[in-house]
Amino acid sequence: MRIKWANAILLAVGMALTAGCSSLGVKPWQRNVLARDDMRLNAEPLTAAVDDHMYFSKEASSGGRGFAGGGCGCN
Amino acid sequence: MQLKNTRGGSADASLLKSKIARRRLIAASCALLGTTAARSQDAGGAAADSAGSAWGVDSALAYYHESGRITAIEPIVNVAKDYGDGKTFSAQFIFDSLSGSTPNGALPSTKAQTFASPSGKSLSAAPTTYTSSSGQLVSQSAPIYTIEPGQLPMDPHYHDQRLALSGDWGLPLTRLLTASAGGKLSYESDFLSVSANAGIARDFNEKNTTLSFQLNDEFDSLRPIGGAPVAGSDYALFQKGGGKSKDGVGAMLGLTQVLSRRWLTELNLSVDRFKGYLNDPYKIISIIDGAGNTTGYLYEKRPDTRTRKSLYWENRTAWGRVSAALSLRYMTDTWRVRSDTAQIHVRWWNFDRDRYLEPTVRWYRQSAADFYTPWLDSAGARISYASSDARLGAFQAVTYGLKYGAKLDDADLQSSSQFSLRLEYYQQTPDHRQSAPGALQGLDLYPGLKAILLQVGWKF
Repeated sequence: MRIKWANAILLAVGMALTAGCSSLGVKPWQRNVLARDDMRLNAEPLTAAVDDHMYFSKEASSGGRGFAGGGCGCN
Repeated sequence: MQLKNTRGGSADASLLKSKIARRRLIAASCALLGTTAARSQDAGGAAADSAGSAWGVDSALAYYHESGRITAIEPIVNVAKDYGDGKTFSAQFIFDSLSGSTPNGALPSTKAQTFASPSGKSLSAAPTTYTSSSGQLVSQSAPIYTIEPGQLPMDPHYHDQRLALSGDWGLPLTRLLTASAGGKLSYESDFLSVSANAGIARDFNEKNTTLSFQLNDEFDSLRPIGGAPVAGSDYALFQKGGGKSKDGVGAMLGLTQVLSRRWLTELNLSVDRFKGYLNDPYKIISIIDGAGNTTGYLYEKRPDTRTRKSLYWENRTAWGRVSAALSLRYMTDTWRVRSDTAQIHVRWWNFDRDRYLEPTVRWYRQSAADFYTPWLDSAGARISYASSDARLGAFQAVTYGLKYGAKLDDADLQSSSQFSLRLEYYQQTPDHRQSAPGALQGLDLYPGLKAILLQVGWKF
């Protein structure tokens, strides 16, 4: 029951965020900072791949940024 | 002649500047036309550098070393292309070579302990004789190893290689809707993993908001060296069967939002479920009597299903010559593991913006799986699930890292590339140490883990 409530709250927060997002943002001509390489999500895919593999092999958690697939059969 | 050369050099330099400027203009135009978009649409970092032009190549060589344990060398190459009309493609190639010692799950003891490597079929040091497929009689020494009193039992013969390939495609369906698809293949001598994913992303609010949804399907085949042990069976009986498998499905809902000119945020909610053989076939558990003496070992036994849920939140911001990324993750699963992760990167560019330093700190904490136990006593040997794998125990971990990057413009090759060097230190510290009986007191039962990572990268 607790998990169902948590899911419902999460869904409500998600919907509220989505609705609230409509008033956020910038105009196309205001994207000069957002255009920077270091502002890109997954700006360093190789670093992320090395880190994900290291943490996947040594910790019980993985993923979040994306699917954790592949990797060794040990965890 | 000299004048001609000078003119030629000047023209080359001019052409180079023009090409770099054009590349930056294309990247800026992409950003003007749409937001940074969801990860599902991101064909990799090199893609933005190859917008509408040639392939972008990002390569790295990583060296990972654990104190007294595993050493790994990992070359990686990522190639990506942005076709300019919203279509993207990226492919990644990874090769790992691992060797060294790895804990087998048993506890240290006050007496010497003898174990067989996974390919072993007995704990006797006497050579075994068998007839090979060609009909020859072969005598082979038993692959056993002995651990000195007080030492953590580790298999010193660990050696493995891994080859992983992946590909991702992004395809615009309409001005606001983008589809993505990808696949991964990971091969080791004792493990094969194949997965496929597909997703859809929709832009809203002048492309300041992107909602995405992705599905992933994975199939893993395990062929452990020496066979897969019967979960929970007596280690000394060597009850092993053939190969095993597990499969999993996952879904991820993502929200990417431009909050201001300097702030981009991403929120991902993920769920995945795996079922099948989820044991580590090489891990055992010590059985301890009331005096703290080891009386035997069992192969570990984990539940055959696991459902994980995670919430991931990443923020990126930049001011002048500084940019920062902060990510937080909360994960919970049906094995009762709960984890919190926080990581921050801060990048400082020099005045010319052609070199940077990037310190990183990551903090991680997890609770133990409900069946985790460092050892079993005689009564405990009857419990339904048990694993002493320290990766399922409660611990905290910190990572400290520093990265240096430099942009290199080569006038002769009329190209621009980027070199990077990264050094990280990782340390795990166990939580909730259980008091040990009798003879085990005074032994280091929770040694933790220390590791370094060195990565050299070249992007062009």
